[in-house]
Amino acid sequence: MSDKSKPIVQMKNIEKHFGAVIALAGVSLDVFPGECHCLLGDNGAGKSTFIKALAGVHKPTKGEIIFEGKPMEFDRPRDAIAAGIATVYQDLAMIPLMSVSRNFFMGNEPIKKLGPIGFFDHETANRITMEEMGKMGISLRGPDQAVGTLSGGERQTVAIARAVHFGAKVLILDEPTSALGVRQTANVLATVDKVRKQGIAVVLITHNVRHAMAVGDRFTVLNRGQTLGTAERGNITPEELQDMMAGGAELATLEGSLGGTV
Amino acid sequence: MSDTPTNPPDDERIIARSRFREALIRPELGGIAGIILVFFFFLLTAADSGMFGPAGVMNWSIVSAQFAIIAVGACLLMIAGEFDLSVGSMIGFAGIIIAILSVQMGWPMWMAIITTFVLCTALGAVNGWLVIKTGLPSFIVTLAFLYILRGLTIFAAIATTRKTIIGGVRDVAEGDWLAAIFGGKILTGFFQWMGDTGLIEVFERGTRKGQPVVDGIPMLIVWALVLIVFGHILLTRTRFGNWIFASGGDAQSARYTGVPVNRVKILMFMFTAFCATVFATCQVMEFGSAGADRGLLKEFEAIISVVIGGALLTGGYGSVIGAALGALIFGVVQQGLFFAGVESSLFRVFLGVILLLAVILNTYIRRMITGEK
Amino acid sequence: MTSLIRKLVLATAVVAAPLLAATTAAAEGEKYILVSHAPDSDSWWNTIKNGIALAGEQMGVEVEYRNPPTGDLADMARIIEQAAASGPNGIITTLADFDVLSGPIRAAVDQGINVIIMNSGTAEQTREVGALMFVGQPEYDAGYAAGLRAKGDGITSFVCVNHVISNTVVAERCRGFADGLGIELGNSMIDSGQDPAEIKNRVIAHLNANPDTDAVLTLGPTSADPTILALEEMGLAGDIYFGTFDLGENIVKGIKDGIIQWGIDQQPFLQAYLPVVILTNYDRYGVLPGNNINSGPGFVTADGLEKVEMFAGEYR
Repeated sequence: MSDKSKPIVQMKNIEKHFGAVIALAGVSLDVFPGECHCLLGDNGAGKSTFIKALAGVHKPTKGEIIFEGKPMEFDRPRDAIAAGIATVYQDLAMIPLMSVSRNFFMGNEPIKKLGPIGFFDHETANRITMEEMGKMGISLRGPDQAVGTLSGGERQTVAIARAVHFGAKVLILDEPTSALGVRQTANVLATVDKVRKQGIAVVLITHNVRHAMAVGDRFTVLNRGQTLGTAERGNITPEELQDMMAGGAELATLEGSLGGTV
Repeated sequence: MSDTPTNPPDDERIIARSRFREALIRPELGGIAGIILVFFFFLLTAADSGMFGPAGVMNWSIVSAQFAIIAVGACLLMIAGEFDLSVGSMIGFAGIIIAILSVQMGWPMWMAIITTFVLCTALGAVNGWLVIKTGLPSFIVTLAFLYILRGLTIFAAIATTRKTIIGGVRDVAEGDWLAAIFGGKILTGFFQWMGDTGLIEVFERGTRKGQPVVDGIPMLIVWALVLIVFGHILLTRTRFGNWIFASGGDAQSARYTGVPVNRVKILMFMFTAFCATVFATCQVMEFGSAGADRGLLKEFEAIISVVIGGALLTGGYGSVIGAALGALIFGVVQQGLFFAGVESSLFRVFLGVILLLAVILNTYIRRMITGEK
Repeated sequence: MTSLIRKLVLATAVVAAPLLAATTAAAEGEKYILVSHAPDSDSWWNTIKNGIALAGEQMGVEVEYRNPPTGDLADMARIIEQAAASGPNGIITTLADFDVLSGPIRAAVDQGINVIIMNSGTAEQTREVGALMFVGQPEYDAGYAAGLRAKGDGITSFVCVNHVISNTVVAERCRGFADGLGIELGNSMIDSGQDPAEIKNRVIAHLNANPDTDAVLTLGPTSADPTILALEEMGLAGDIYFGTFDLGENIVKGIKDGIIQWGIDQQPFLQAYLPVVILTNYDRYGVLPGNNINSGPGFVTADGLEKVEMFAGEYR
């Protein structure tokens, strides 16, 4: 297990330009093993662009990514995955038409050699899938149950379990709770907690402060492509976070008219 | 990893299903039901017409095998999320190229066949590469190739021979080892024995007097079986098969987990072209001539077989066995209606009805399996 | 699930009922199958269908018409094999491509089925596959005769509109015509396809590109009808020399109107009617004509059009 006192990922002054649009104007962030670092921000704040830079989908225009003490450049998602940075996207986590076990091992299929030909080892795949799902508290009808029959929360959990099983050191979760009901959200957040306790660094992207406060160790707020600062758990209240995300003043007036329910 | 696997309590919302039902609910169910229905129908209407005699069985088996050869390619490609509408034109093209290389240019047959296979799979790769690079729907790109290849085929035939049918292939193929793999027959001794013992009819007159009416299993059928087995194993038992499902199910998700989607799709386009070339080569070797209009509309026949067999048009779901059953249904219906003496123009009505019934049943089954809404 | 299967069975039964009814309409007795190479879209073959139907009725035998829907000759070979497997008394078939069709035809003959070649084929090929006889028009000779006639009318160049480019036998008509004229066929034959709009526009394009073309030769109603329209549109109708093979309603009208100089009638009715009659009599009494029967060519001109007009597209 990695040294918990040193950050596993450091992102320094990341800038990303899409043509004339500056999506990120120098964002910095570091993540320690075993912590859940929440990245907050309203829609369009640059959260997704930022983590896509880390996941190897976008190449940053400027800035530096240091992973395990060494500067890294990811050209493709596969490079990031190979290094141990796994991403679970909101709606791209799973392929609904395929079975849970086929999804679980998508891109990492276990091979059983039969002479010179390598076959998909369904036995191993099914066994591991059932074990891992059991650990996460999901009961399947069978490993060949299609993912389409699972709930949104269960799909997220399968995707997280998959990333952990394949040795992710850093797990990026992109809005895992945004489309979920209360109970499913609780399940996913509990899963995040389990993962963190295994010493994996979690980067959780959300615009829901309550979800962030439930599992987060540190909170970084993005607004209009810039960092508004990083706070540690206990040093900040949900209200302060909410204000930072939406740029304070306007939301205060809005909140007044909505009776403090947002 | 200190957690011990705990068995979560059974979810009360999951309704227990019987083993029989579990075994029944599979992608091929539509195809199996169709086969039963079709054979039931023809046993009732055409039982005494010779349809189920040796020559009759061979007749619809060959037609079904032809469909199956192109359906296997179309099936894997469709599961990978793409279409190939140029299959029919590719059949015509491959045939003419073989004939031009062997008859017109005097190459040995094996060389002509191998060159054609290389050329046609390369064209399949071009198809795939264009689809990937342009991001256009494969429907459009391969539609363009449908015309390009058909036009080139007619042009090449006219330019070299002033005819659209090039004959004389049989003479060049005589004794060629590779030609026999496509145009030969196996188990001829066994069939001769069956003819001698009176198990099957023999010719009554002519140069083949005493030979059985069915004198062996054509390589066409062997190719169909080999391709079906290969496709089925590739799809269900290999890592690559999982990539095919993933590429068609959701290309973006698949890419994010590291599946080489582009490579998978291009390879499937090449495999489809390969299957079309197998079809063409078997046909040319059997009939001894290549025609520029061969293979018209075969792409749709392949796609229909695949869809009857339970594959999803939008990709990510399907079965090679299902596609093979679809091809069998197609072949049996097409030839069976002749046997049953039904007015031939009604064949399309019947086919359309079967297609519709199969798709409705398949959609129903698929929703049960995948939980699609 | 079971209810679904029940529904399916029911639906199939409903669909199948009219098909079954169609099959029971067949008469008892001898059965003859006619296999053509024409796609469904070729209207010329209606005469053939009418011909065998009439002969079947008169002789009291069962007749069937089969064709490959797209005109794919490889599919036609399968149909001949199928026809042989269904055990008819005789098969009447065209020999549109010797390489493709000779194998299945010979196999049918060897199974003891009587075969008559009609429409496409040559006397030599007929002998080679072991068929009883050939009923049809020797295409090259017909084209040659037409060429000589056109040469007499002072023609020196022509365009041949071929709507069945894949049928080598039909293309012989163009070759014969060119030889009759004493010129090279060269680029005079165009592949028009089967679609009327495409045929019309290809003819227009060709005549525009080659304004010195003296004559148009079409190979059947499929290409003749749109060609008439093309000539009318270009103002060449009645001006350019126009001959055609085969008859049809519009062709007869064209002859009457002076747009078409002559039509070569191969009398398809005879090609369908005679084989059924001959096969039936051969099966019943063992009698067989001693030679091939030339059903054409007969030149149909503006003189004596009445009968032709009355039955054009039906029996003519």
